[in-house]
Amino acid sequence: MEFLSALSPLFFLLIVFGVLVGIIFGSIPGMTATMAVAVCLPLTYALDLTNGLALLLGLYVGGITGGLVPAVLLKIPGTPSSITTTFDGYPMAQRGEGERALKIGIVASLFGGVFSAIILFLFAPILSDFAIKFSYIEKFLIIFLALTVIASLSGNMLMGIFSGVLGVWLSLIGTYSITDGGNGELRLMFDFMVPYLESGFSLLPVLIGLFGLGTVFIEAEQGVKKEVSSQSLRMSDQVRFSMSVFRGKLVNLLRSSSIGTFVGMLPGIGGSAASVLAYTQEKNFSRDPSQMGKGAPQGLVASESANNSLTGGALIPLLSLGIPGDSTTAILIGAFTLQGIQVGPLFIGDNLDTWYTMVFALLVANFVMFAIMFFAIKHIAKVVAVPKYILYPVIIMMCVVGAYAINYGIMFDVWTLFIFGVFGYVAHKVGIEIPPLIIGFILGSSAEIYFVKSLESYGNFMIFFTKSPIAVFLWVLIFMSIAFSIYLNIKSRRKRSDEVETQT
Amino acid sequence: MKKTILALSVAIAGTGAFNTAMAEEEAPIDGNLRIVIGSTSTGGDTYQNSEIVAQQLSDKLDMNVKVDAVGATEAFKALERSPDGNTMMIFHDMAYLGHLYGVRGYENVFEEFNVGPSIAINPGNAYLVAKDSPYETLDDIKEAVADGERVRVSIQPGGVSEIGFSALKNAIRIEHPGAEENLVAVNSGSQSDKNQQMFDGLADVINGSVQANEQFTRLPEDDQKAMRFVWLTARQDTIEQTLEEGMGETTREELLEFTEPNVTVTQDGEKNFTFDKEFFFIYNEDMDQEIVDYMDEALAEIYDEGEIQKTQKQSFFIPNFKPSDESEEYLQEKMNEYEEIINSID
Repeated sequence: MEFLSALSPLFFLLIVFGVLVGIIFGSIPGMTATMAVAVCLPLTYALDLTNGLALLLGLYVGGITGGLVPAVLLKIPGTPSSITTTFDGYPMAQRGEGERALKIGIVASLFGGVFSAIILFLFAPILSDFAIKFSYIEKFLIIFLALTVIASLSGNMLMGIFSGVLGVWLSLIGTYSITDGGNGELRLMFDFMVPYLESGFSLLPVLIGLFGLGTVFIEAEQGVKKEVSSQSLRMSDQVRFSMSVFRGKLVNLLRSSSIGTFVGMLPGIGGSAASVLAYTQEKNFSRDPSQMGKGAPQGLVASESANNSLTGGALIPLLSLGIPGDSTTAILIGAFTLQGIQVGPLFIGDNLDTWYTMVFALLVANFVMFAIMFFAIKHIAKVVAVPKYILYPVIIMMCVVGAYAINYGIMFDVWTLFIFGVFGYVAHKVGIEIPPLIIGFILGSSAEIYFVKSLESYGNFMIFFTKSPIAVFLWVLIFMSIAFSIYLNIKSRRKRSDEVETQT
Repeated sequence: MKKTILALSVAIAGTGAFNTAMAEEEAPIDGNLRIVIGSTSTGGDTYQNSEIVAQQLSDKLDMNVKVDAVGATEAFKALERSPDGNTMMIFHDMAYLGHLYGVRGYENVFEEFNVGPSIAINPGNAYLVAKDSPYETLDDIKEAVADGERVRVSIQPGGVSEIGFSALKNAIRIEHPGAEENLVAVNSGSQSDKNQQMFDGLADVINGSVQANEQFTRLPEDDQKAMRFVWLTARQDTIEQTLEEGMGETTREELLEFTEPNVTVTQDGEKNFTFDKEFFFIYNEDMDQEIVDYMDEALAEIYDEGEIQKTQKQSFFIPNFKPSDESEEYLQEKMNEYEEIINSID
């Protein structure tokens, strides 16, 4: 505990500042935790490593959690990893349970964050040794497993799968980048598109276009009335938050946090896969999955505990292999190098004090996040009370600013936002399902890379089944997930036909 | 706390460095300066190096300077649109190597743009084998290839990562004609992918860097992750300029064991091949010569003051300022040499 004596009040102040700024970044659609860390990185040049890390880890935790707010209240994922939060959070907010949904999300986030920090502290070197057993094949299978959520998320299974495949197809437009080990060639476009789509569609503008702009267009068509929105009127008599909502959800919390930590520690999988995977597994293993997607707290718990447990998970490969687990931790390497500290397999042993400080900062950041969010939530939740004729123009403006800023000022990203906003509106009309489409889009390009790399490296298809016991285990989970989706689909169809018969 | 206050004071003092700022009436650039870089990563060496220079320029020119990690394709596009000097690019040898290797989006920077001053070298480009590899040295690898053994080298194609591989292949072609076919490239993306290929036994040699891989070289041999340097492509005198303590626990002396003349890769039968990863400015082709001179002058003053060198060395960069004319001539010559190597193995 010697490191504690070296900590100054500034250390704690910087964590609070970091968490606060992170929450703001995460809450604005199009602004992410990665941007928050990148923007504030130069501030750390004037600080020593301990205080610099306090600021950056605060930003990281705040940024990931902040994504919860627009996901629940506006159905716009603040960060890609909060996409599954919209599935149950927004229906709850529509029922007038916005504040309750946010509080459930925050408690789940705290659990996930603390869980992953503890795992990081106790098992980082062992887990990093386990992580390197995941080659291209196992990584592909993990993404494939996450993709199976498409089947269970769909209202109409056939249309859902079509939407998912469409999402994958859209994600492949552009260059097969050499920085991903590709051949640098263009695909899936006509010549006139090349100047715009050379780098493909960017994730954030697509995400906020489909969810944010698309929803605004649909609502605008229905006509936005001047009076205060109906949800806000129900805020006073809404179901109140109580910790009892977590009764019976410990397994969900533990499973989702473990999935989040685990996916976080696999470089190249991406944070969104964690919450998608946790959501799928909750749907597959819970006693009553029928309410998921309609405002079930268990979905929110799975999604939020998983995405916050990414924070500790992504630090595992960073601190024990020198390899960042996600885009945000990639920036942290810069902070270390600038202070002359090398991260790699010997980092922990060589820098014990820094190591303890980091885990401590991560824990403190989670509790600070909880304190700030939990007590501010009452006021934040009132955003649904803002009349839509004021709220929607503000959302559109934030979406445009976020889309333009996400890749440091590329105008085509704003057009992407608009294109996918219109596409989201049309998709709603023709029955294309947005959640499966976006999950396909998020996971498609990684799936392609690992699939192609697996074939390039091993040269045959059978290797996907025979590579390792881990691969076999993942196949079992994949088959279980698909079988369960089919079972659920048949069950709900029977239920519907029974209801029709009863009515007639 | 004392240290923090000191650091903050230095930072505050830095932002108001009126004495060293260049006179405003001289400024041929209006408004802010945006530096786009050829990498999308804000955790990599290009960003780090550019950020160091940007901060110094911001003080010197008394203007806002912002580094944007937009990636090569977007950076070249942004540069094409801006002849007024408000957008400049910082990149490294990939800028012309991409063109030599025929990577999409890379034109000849010497024809389509203006190459500006060089600022620093990252001396860390390295090749490694697993610690339990049968190849102890680069010569072992060359001999194995000459004997008909297939040796797989994990690289990211089309740039800095590939040039050492091309040079090695060329050297084997010169020393053992025909055997170079046995040295094969395994395409990969990030450093994490390259390491993983070694852990999975999919590559015998990987491209890496002193910064990213040094700790792996200190692991015990029975650790699956343990690696060994076999070659640093930097010139001997570049490594000699690093801090004496080197990187991590590998001292400068130890690093020198892996550079020429201890490890040699012939370029043409006489001269040794070396590769220093150099960072330099790239300007719009039509940018005013007055701005070119202004930037040269500002950077010359920054380097004369001597502070930037300390920051660069602390981050394992070698300060290497060359004004535009000198830099362009030098880099053009460097490109011509590498073009010969790449053409000879096609």
